[in-house]
Amino acid sequence: MTLRLANDWVLRLPGERLSFRLPVRALVLALLLTVALLSLIALSLTIGSYEMSLRQVLSTLLGDEVSRQMTTVVWEFRFPRTLVAAFVGTMLALSGAALQNVTRNGLADPSLVGISQGAGLAVVALTVIWPSQSSALRPWVAFAGSLVVAALIQGLSWNRRGGSSIRFILMGIGVAAFISAITSALMTYGQIDRAMSALAWLSGSINAAGWPEVQMVAVWCAVLMPPLLILSRSMSALQMGESTAVGLGVRASVIRYALISVAVGLAAIATAAVGPLGFVGLIAPHMARRLARSGVGIHLLLTALMGAFVVTLADLLGRALFAPIQIPAGLVTAIIGVPVFIYLLQKSQAKSAL
Amino acid sequence: MTTQASHNAMSSSTVDSASGAWLAYSAGLPIVVGVLALMFGWHIAVGAKSLPLSTVLNALVSYDATQFDHMIVRDLRLPRAVIAVLVGAALSVAGALMQGVTRNPLAEPGILGLMAGASFAVVMAIGVFQTVPTVWLPWVAAVGAMVTAVVVWLIAQWAPGGATPLTLTLAGAAITAFLGALISVAHLLNQETYEQLRVWLAGSLSGRRVDVLSVAAPWLCLALGLAMVLSRKVTVLAMGDNVARGLGVRTGWLKVQVLLCVVVLTACSVALAGPLGFVGLVIPHVVRLFIGSDYRWIVPYSALVGGAYLLGVDIIARLALRPQEIATGIMTAMVGAPLFIHLVRQRAS
Repeated sequence: MTLRLANDWVLRLPGERLSFRLPVRALVLALLLTVALLSLIALSLTIGSYEMSLRQVLSTLLGDEVSRQMTTVVWEFRFPRTLVAAFVGTMLALSGAALQNVTRNGLADPSLVGISQGAGLAVVALTVIWPSQSSALRPWVAFAGSLVVAALIQGLSWNRRGGSSIRFILMGIGVAAFISAITSALMTYGQIDRAMSALAWLSGSINAAGWPEVQMVAVWCAVLMPPLLILSRSMSALQMGESTAVGLGVRASVIRYALISVAVGLAAIATAAVGPLGFVGLIAPHMARRLARSGVGIHLLLTALMGAFVVTLADLLGRALFAPIQIPAGLVTAIIGVPVFIYLLQKSQAKSAL
Repeated sequence: MTTQASHNAMSSSTVDSASGAWLAYSAGLPIVVGVLALMFGWHIAVGAKSLPLSTVLNALVSYDATQFDHMIVRDLRLPRAVIAVLVGAALSVAGALMQGVTRNPLAEPGILGLMAGASFAVVMAIGVFQTVPTVWLPWVAAVGAMVTAVVVWLIAQWAPGGATPLTLTLAGAAITAFLGALISVAHLLNQETYEQLRVWLAGSLSGRRVDVLSVAAPWLCLALGLAMVLSRKVTVLAMGDNVARGLGVRTGWLKVQVLLCVVVLTACSVALAGPLGFVGLVIPHVVRLFIGSDYRWIVPYSALVGGAYLLGVDIIARLALRPQEIATGIMTAMVGAPLFIHLVRQRAS
């Protein structure tokens, strides 16, 4: 066998009773991405104001106490923060992938269509009006806020001829502007200390993440991931267009609403944990598609890994580049994401115009 | 012909109805001026200490330095009201011109990224040189707005389908997000320098930048005058490039002139009041409901109505949550964004 990676291998049982494709290239890439992500996480644990070697980090993680400070730095600060970054990246990337598949629009992203802003408004309102209940209710309130906004945009951009994808985005820009204005007004109204904590959260910062946030994103990831995987089969049919999907036996409208709910849920929980992180859901699915053309399932896997990688990298860059000043990860993802958005705009199909 | 009635209203109207419209439009001007004057007086009258309109009028007509109320009016409230009128007029006219030239109902200095460009240039200049002489502030903003306008246009031009309303708007939104993130990073890196810019970056009239006013006002008025001069040709250009060329308009040169005019208007507004979104979107559309498509009338009416509108919005911003003050930019976005959504919906159906 040569070293050239074929796109697929086809495995056949004797007699061809059962055969399936093995997407080798995509699987190898997924493995490489996993290794890259793990190395990035390890690197991220060693970098910071308290210098540590990789060996020290590893033995601290394995439970040996090298020194008390190291245990505190790794277990209390760096490790939960890195975990939250990876989880949030995964969730936002999957949310973006689901949205892009449902709307058949390569430019869809939870932060572009107003979903993140809806969660943001709901959480800021909670922080300003009812601060004592803030942390426990946060995910639910964020979810409700995003759901309302998603329904609003969906309703507004739907007309007799069905939805148009670019109109969906433009509508999202308008709704996002409106919601951001209300959020800012709320922060003017609220007391200054509460407003300041909301402000830090609004720029998409992983600074303050600790074990409660890790627990929240991990639990919700576990809840929302299975439905997405179950729906992924129908998603591949939906990619071919609604009428084709219906012809293939997919209950298109049910699947659509289910997928949008899952996408909204993923984005809302991620936003509730660290604030709005823009453009991750836009970049990750496209990078995954560029790496390997594959079925929806493998694509989701690659997308999830890519999202985790991007946000972990953004967080690391944000805190290492200008240390001791910390740049929120949301700003880094926006600076990376906008050129990608413009590039995709150039590539987008003219037929999807209004 | 009938389907394009709005675009061709002027060319199809006979001499009689045109002169009738001329009469009606000029009769409307005093009314709008009256409303503007009323809003101006009201804007000065309200505040932490409410003043009766008669006191305001007295202070403006016969100023008495010994009276405390007169000092409030002259030194504190009058500059803010003047800035509101000038900025409202400038942004509305800039929006009207952009909508006419790009034939894009969504065009506006804020949406197409010009304001973000102007703000970014000012922030960077202050970051690099620590202090920027006030005289240079509008020009720094103008360079930023100009570069951003060209970049946004190029991005939209390269997209499949060319510079349509959609691609222009998306490119503008993307550039705005990008520059906004860079501004935030600059802010975080140098907190002390930018603390003073915080309020300004939200779009606010509360700074009362009298020194900037004396620098920017002449240029702003000059650009408004240029807009009036250009308005006749913009009406023709709004019918399409080919029609305009057939009627003897040098479209390329006209577009350059309009771009310069829009950039100066936007830059002066941003230097005075920070980025105030959606003003240039709302006013021309409202004006067009009454006036039609003749830019010779749209431009002056937009200026007057825009001034009155920003005065009104600023009154609400100051009164809604007393004693706090909402940034004026927040209020303009709350009013303007629903109209934006409506326009997107309407174009689709």
